[in-house]
Amino acid sequence: MKIMVCLKQVPHQDARLDVRSDGTWIQEDNIKFEINSYDTYALEEALRVKDSGEAEVVVVSIGPDRVSQALRTALGMGADRAIHVNDAEAENSDALGIAKILASIAKEENPDLIMTGLMSDDGNFSAVGAMLAELVGIPHTTAVMKVEHTDSGLKLERELEGGALEVVELPRPCLIAVQTGINQVRYASLKGIMAAKKKPIDVKTAGDLGLAGQIAPKMKIEKVYTPPKGDGAEMIEGSTDEVVAKLVSKIKELGLL
Amino acid sequence: MGNILIVAEIQKGKIREATLEMAAIAQKLAGPLGKEVKSVVLGKDIGAAAEELSKKGGGEVFAADHELLANYNVDAFTQATRTAIEAAGADLILVSNTPSGWDFAPRLAAGLDAGFVSDCFNIEEEGGKPVFVRRVFNGKLDARLLPQTDVVVATVQPGATAAFEGATDGKVTNLDAGIDAAAVRAKFIETKVAESKGVDLTKADIIVSGGRGVGAPEKFTETIQPLADALGGAMGASRPVVDAGWLPHEYQVGSSGQVVTPKLYIACGISGAIQHLVGMKASNFIVAINKDGDAPIFEVADVGVVGDLFEVVPALTKAISEAKGG
Repeated sequence: MKIMVCLKQVPHQDARLDVRSDGTWIQEDNIKFEINSYDTYALEEALRVKDSGEAEVVVVSIGPDRVSQALRTALGMGADRAIHVNDAEAENSDALGIAKILASIAKEENPDLIMTGLMSDDGNFSAVGAMLAELVGIPHTTAVMKVEHTDSGLKLERELEGGALEVVELPRPCLIAVQTGINQVRYASLKGIMAAKKKPIDVKTAGDLGLAGQIAPKMKIEKVYTPPKGDGAEMIEGSTDEVVAKLVSKIKELGLL
Repeated sequence: MGNILIVAEIQKGKIREATLEMAAIAQKLAGPLGKEVKSVVLGKDIGAAAEELSKKGGGEVFAADHELLANYNVDAFTQATRTAIEAAGADLILVSNTPSGWDFAPRLAAGLDAGFVSDCFNIEEEGGKPVFVRRVFNGKLDARLLPQTDVVVATVQPGATAAFEGATDGKVTNLDAGIDAAAVRAKFIETKVAESKGVDLTKADIIVSGGRGVGAPEKFTETIQPLADALGGAMGASRPVVDAGWLPHEYQVGSSGQVVTPKLYIACGISGAIQHLVGMKASNFIVAINKDGDAPIFEVADVGVVGDLFEVVPALTKAISEAKGG
């Protein structure tokens, strides 16, 4: 079985978010990046299939040079090989453009299963997985919390609201977009990191995939900005003792003490 | 210039509130954008729901009644919505950002080669064009998006706008959903309701919740639980804590956990991702303690403390115990 896992490298969850000078995204120089949290769960889910039998895990990521670091991490965790699409045009694209690039790779690779995270921690679009499935012409499901591999396909549990779950079956080939918490993600071992250095990363451009000029964004970010402060909270300042005294008096006012 | 199509959602046989919220957005945009509002109801035995929507801002409502739409099915819903888009002559398609909506809406957009934007909390009009406003970076920043194409599929955040109020004279048109059963590959098996909770946070008057900022599972027992105990309340957690396996799912507050409305909610080390806020923002009084003063949690809090929870929380626990003891 061949599994293609799509990874995005995103600003670290604790990275400082400053809006860049053109106002359309954050300033990405000199901040730390990491693999999108949702995607690490997707990768782990693929590696578990590999651990339990015969599977090749191919990781794919789109982005500038820094993305090779995320792919090395994925290879260190146990993925077999990596594809890196490094292209300025892709940088300015949108979810559909990204899905088109991934679809063209999927058509070359012909995987039995494609895994993505449910959404990215930066754009929060939750779009690429379902779009990719449509473009490849395979069924999909999102917010997957449990995967059971059957002879013909997958039996899945997807997350609904309030802790309810929906059980769905999909035939292979198919795509699943994984929810966080589906598994406990492994760390790359030292041995894995050493082995990853010998594993191949195939670098491509949109042109190599026949997509030059075809991934212009259909939705353009006009600007990003700090949400306007609404009424917001009354901020309590001072020493720990002063803060605690004020909190206690608030709780007393509520009649809870 | 095409019309607006609202893709309605049925919950327990009725039109879901989130659909009526989209009706409010659509009715507000229709005039300035020069569009008509139309809707589609997908399901089985949905005549009454379609009638209801036609009187609550849905405009002309297409009722797509089909066996394969009885339960949510990605392939059937995508196909039927495409049929409705044709029937409505729509180029702005609104879908709720719910588990079904987020599942099929991007797929629909890709099939139409359309623009797609998800989880909008507002759609404005500017120069005769729609502008979509949404959160990015888990609520830390907002973004405004402009379509570069005529056809746009947008999902709308439930609860972000008030539902349409007033009465409209819509009509219901039956629509042959045009579903090709052979192309329906996904198979719905069943819905499993939430398992009975060992911890029922919905009944607690006071909840002290911890987030990723608590840092480690033992810190919940050492720091968060003692404050909850001192106040006679319950302990809760945000999603990252449960995902990391620090606490079981029954402690999770949020859209995929428990939705709570205690008299007092104390959020410790929780930045305030939207899925958490949905689960607690209706609490009577919210205290947020976080080291990042820009954290979105402070937007819904009544009082906020920017500081180290490991200093503030134990000191507060001590003070509460003393106040109760004296």
